[in-house]
Amino acid sequence: METLLTQLTHLISIGKINAHSPYPPDMRGQPGAAEITAQALAEGFTPADILDKGLLPGMNIIGEKFSQGQAFIANMLISAQAMNAAMEHLRPFFESGEIQSRGTIILGTVQGDLHDIGKNLVKMIMKGDGWDVVDLGTDVHSHDFVEAVKTHPDACVGMSALLTTTMLNMKAVTDSLRDNDPATKIFIGGAPVSAAFAEEIGADGYFRDPYGLARSLRTN
Amino acid sequence: MSSPKGTTFDNNTGETMSTIHQSKRRYPADFQQLIHILNGHIPERPTLFEFAMNDRLLGRLSGQEHEDNSQRLAPFQRLINAFAAGGYDYTTISGWRTGTLQFPKGDIAEKSSKSLNSGGMIIDRQSFDNYPWPDPEAGDYELYDDLGPLLPEGMKLIASGNGGLLENVIDLVGFETLSLMTMLDESLTTDIFNAVGSRLLRFYELVSTFDAVGACIINDDWGFKNQTMFSPEMLRRWVFPWHKKMVTALHHARKPAILHSCGQLEAVMDEVIDDMGYDAKHSFEDQITPVEEAYARWGSRIAILGGIDMDFLARSTPDEIRKRSKSMLELGMQYGGYALGSGNSIPDYIPDENYFAMIQARDLIKA
Repeated sequence: METLLTQLTHLISIGKINAHSPYPPDMRGQPGAAEITAQALAEGFTPADILDKGLLPGMNIIGEKFSQGQAFIANMLISAQAMNAAMEHLRPFFESGEIQSRGTIILGTVQGDLHDIGKNLVKMIMKGDGWDVVDLGTDVHSHDFVEAVKTHPDACVGMSALLTTTMLNMKAVTDSLRDNDPATKIFIGGAPVSAAFAEEIGADGYFRDPYGLARSLRTN
Repeated sequence: MSSPKGTTFDNNTGETMSTIHQSKRRYPADFQQLIHILNGHIPERPTLFEFAMNDRLLGRLSGQEHEDNSQRLAPFQRLINAFAAGGYDYTTISGWRTGTLQFPKGDIAEKSSKSLNSGGMIIDRQSFDNYPWPDPEAGDYELYDDLGPLLPEGMKLIASGNGGLLENVIDLVGFETLSLMTMLDESLTTDIFNAVGSRLLRFYELVSTFDAVGACIINDDWGFKNQTMFSPEMLRRWVFPWHKKMVTALHHARKPAILHSCGQLEAVMDEVIDDMGYDAKHSFEDQITPVEEAYARWGSRIAILGGIDMDFLARSTPDEIRKRSKSMLELGMQYGGYALGSGNSIPDYIPDENYFAMIQARDLIKA
């Protein structure tokens, strides 16, 4: 029985979506995450076990590999596709409340910045780690971050910037969020950003890669 | 004189009449100095390198605040005047400025930065077949001939394309769509890279034939902060073979090839040097590999150009900038293969006085 969950973990980590997917080439025609999830439900695994012991460990593996430079964004994307295909079978159990998320994180690139690759990676990893993600998109004004926190008072906030100029807007967002609620957890990322800059603007942390953020939130 | 890789360039054919007042220059323009550097040698005097400068700075350097678009060559005259007044031995002529070869793009969202996911025009085989592929022979290549007489004595043009192979493919497909396409539709991925790569190759074959063109920049960003945008295996399969062909074409025309590529490229630098055969690498970031470290690691095998980090240029004092630039230039004058400049370009958020502090370091070094 355990082997189905182990198999699911492997399929997510390598990005095997379903039987029709041509990737990986050596698994053409073989069942993917979608079919094995359906099979696991049919064989009596609980949705929570499928998620916690099958799917999420698969995303953790690919996230860890990405963090160590052994996997690339394309690998993360294909794993996320496999995860989404599997989650379609679990969606009814989320809607009924049988499966709970770890919490909510609000994401966005700061005002003036449209570069969204990093933000989208964080979204993938956090969803894959069992979080509800509120994606505010790109070029987000501090007012919109604050409004999102008012709607989701227990949420963390993650913001990213690509440029030296736009990263300066993180200070305004941080100040506005602190004015609204000093306890809001604020995390930053992006090419020009550093731990020192996070400290300088009063954010709670900087992470070089999305898995670092997920790991930190899981342990704190 | 031979380069570390055995390719030697001699571009000292000299051009034509000067149209610019050069009294601000400490050294007369001499493209051969950059050639020394691209060959991995020590130039006779400190040498500058910059890929692109913002319009405000071009106005200050050239003495012509606004670009004049009333005549075909007028904007280029201002550009040449600015590079000449700044003390450069060449003027960069970017493909976006000449429009010689342009791939029609969708609506790419852009503010201070741009989204790599927007504007994809090719998402499947049908949209690939319907895409209006440009004819690489149809551009205004005579422009490169016409610019020759505008160059002051000793100066050359350094030509570059309107984006590189991977950059153009990302613009046409969208980053995330392309990422999945490399795994789910290898045949279409191959066809897209070949369609763009073959046209860029033809552009460089044609542009390198002009006497006024002394070297070319092949500009193609490959990296993010932590790693290459795609796996080295993917780059080796679809991107690098075309770069090797472009470099070979330039060398066949006796023109050096400069790679401008941003991001973390450590995993592929050996291939840049040994396989593709680039003569120089441009674009360095302190948060990835500071130029001092890059020069120590690769400077004996490939020329290192620029590298004074843009964030450092934007946020440091002029004294700090002068000091670091002088130190880097001293290293270059001791070991060769280095020209001073920014890590990427001079956008408008870099204060002019900080830019001038950087290039003033040249005057603090004895030739």
